[in-house]
Parts: sequence; C-alpha cells; structure tokens
Amino acid sequence: MRRPLEIRADEVSIRSVVSLTSALESLSSMQIAKTKNKVLISNQFFDEVWNIYKQIRVDSLFNFGRQEDEKPIDKELLILITAKGGLSGDIDQRLIRKFIEDYDETKNDVLVIGQHGALKLKQAHVFYTYYFELPDGDYINVDPLMDITRKYARSRIFYQNYESLSKQNIKSVDLSEVVSSKGRVADLGTLDDTMVSERTYIFEPSSYAVAAYLENSILRLTISQFIYDSRLAQVASRFKAMSAAKERSEETAAELHTEYNRAKRSQVDTRLKESLAGLKKIRAGGAEL
Amino acid sequence: MADEAPKSIAEEPDKADRGSEDRPVMAVKVYAPFQMYFEGEAYSVSAVNDTGPFDILPRHHNFLCMLVPCELVVRPVDGKPKKIKIHRALMQVEADKVVVFMDV
Repeated sequence: MRRPLEIRADEVSIRSVVSLTSALESLSSMQIAKTKNKVLISNQFFDEVWNIYKQIRVDSLFNFGRQEDEKPIDKELLILITAKGGLSGDIDQRLIRKFIEDYDETKNDVLVIGQHGALKLKQAHVFYTYYFELPDGDYINVDPLMDITRKYARSRIFYQNYESLSKQNIKSVDLSEVVSSKGRVADLGTLDDTMVSERTYIFEPSSYAVAAYLENSILRLTISQFIYDSRLAQVASRFKAMSAAKERSEETAAELHTEYNRAKRSQVDTRLKESLAGLKKIRAGGAEL
Repeated sequence: MADEAPKSIAEEPDKADRGSEDRPVMAVKVYAPFQMYFEGEAYSVSAVNDTGPFDILPRHHNFLCMLVPCELVVRPVDGKPKKIKIHRALMQVEADKVVVFMDV
C-alpha cells in the first residue's frame, strides 16, 4: 500500500485538475451561449440575402464568379475547418478521419483552416497546399479563400455542425451544390409580380451585374456560415470534453480520498499494533522480573 | 430615385418637427451579420453606387443596387442624421422599406 502522504499529494493535484476543468467547462458554456446567439442573428441576415439571390439568379450552374474564359484546375479542392488549438474534444479527430476516407492525393488539393487541423494532417502525413488561421472576430474576411476556390473546378468543404450540446456532427458538402440548391426556387409557379425581376425592380448598374455580385456574396456568406457553424460545434465539443474530464477527475479525487483514508487508517492500525506488541513485551518482561 | 435629399433635418429641427405629421416616412434597416447599425423610420437615405451619389425617399420604385465604399446617411424621424461608413453593401428598396446588407 502507498504511503498516505503520497496519496494526499496525488489528491491535491487531481483537485487542481477538477478546478481547471470546471473553469474551462464554465468558460465553454459561456462561449456556447454567446456563439449560439451570434449564429442565430447571422442566420436571419443570411436568409434575407438568400431570399433575394433566389429570386434574381440567372445562371442555374454556380460558377464561383469565374469568367467564361477562365480555365479552372481540374482537381477537387478539399477545405477543412478545424479548431485553433487543442482542448476541443475529439471533433477535429473525427473530421480528419472523415476527410482521409475521401482524400485522394492525385485528385485533391487540401486547404486547411485552423492550426489544430494542420497539426493533425501533418501527423497523418497528409500534405496541405493552403493554410489559414481560424479567425477570432465576428467579421470574417473570406476573400483570400474565395480567390483559391475560384481556381478549382470543384470544391468540397468539411465542417463541424452543431446539432445540440451533446451532439455535433461532421459534414462534407460540395460548395457549388450547396450554393445552387439554396438558390434554387422550389416551385417556379410561386413566382409572381412581387418577385425581384427586371419587370418589378430597377437594378444598378444592371441586373446581370447585381446577380454576379450576389453570386460572389452568396459564396462569401456560405463559407462564413460554415465557419460560424464549426466554431459553435467546436465550443460545444470542448464543453462536452471538459464536462467528461471534470467528472472523471472528480471520481479519481474521490477514489484517492478513500484510498488516503484507508492508508491513514492502516498506518494508525499498524502503529497501534506495534505499540500493543511493545506493551505486551514490556508487560511480559516485567512479569519475568 | 430622387435627385436631391432635403437639407439635413438635424440642422433645422423646427422645420422637421412641423412637417413630421404629414411627411411620408419609410422603414430603414442597415445591418451586418452580427451588428445592427440602424433600424427605424426615416425620411431619406443617401448613399453612393457605381453611377454616383443618390438618395432614396419614400414611395421610391423597387430598387436593388450594389453600394461602393461611401458614407451612408440615414435621416431618421427622431434625432440627428446617422452616418455609417460602408465598405461593401447591397441595398434593397421595396414598398417603403429600405434594407442595407453590409459586408456582403
């Protein structure tokens, strides 16, 4: 059996882990509330812009704002949105696993957002062509990323989706397909005089220019939305991981405390036994005398 | 589109107050994904697009345009004109409702 002092030292260090995980859990909980609120506000904005785009889109095939004479690279660009650093649970690991299932070195180029993902890719010996930090602030400038996606014939994005506090999913979508499908009017019969068209609206400088501008805007908003969604999933995953770590460390601390009490008791018992044995010896010696 | 907006209402508060009962107004919303810059009733909105500076007044025709970097000016029913710096935005005008989508 270990000495009580050693067990006590372990318990103290585990108690500090409990405090640390508890603080991180509270922090993640606050971040979730803040991020969730922001995602909800931004969704209203995105929906209104989508609604305009849906009505005036002229091209059924989304072409990333490319000019007709621009020849794209005949490869699929795989975009990964991952966390900034560790302590985000297993969500990045799951994303990397899903990515590796689809990845083909000869057919894909890789763009990774977030340092943690870049690190995981290196560990998996996957070479990435482009890297971006995961932005911190509310305003995300995705223009450099759009310039890259424009060069490729196809782009697929791997992101983390928040379903609930206990469930976060890994999703992968074709960027052009998601933009096209969101812009598609479900029922053409619903189009009427109130819709945005050249008959009902004045466009400046022209309807085509506005539609082309909106096409870029929609891509910008789509990418931003995926980043916001991933951020929310990451903080939720961190919360989940911290809750589990706190629970485990609390259990370990309780076990150590019991072990400490047992060791202490055993130490006292041993000392008592030794004292009694000594006393017996003394008494026995006295009787002989 | 109207050519000329009325002179700044904030500069002449008495006149603005006198005419406010009959004066037509429009609902204006200027916002970005995470920030509301203005929401309320206003007499006019001034901005700049590729064609040049322009003003939106109540009963304007339905209108959709891209704004160039400029200072958007909203003249609200209450208070001083509000100036908002625009980097990139889309403006939609429909049925006396003006919505400016910033950073799109």
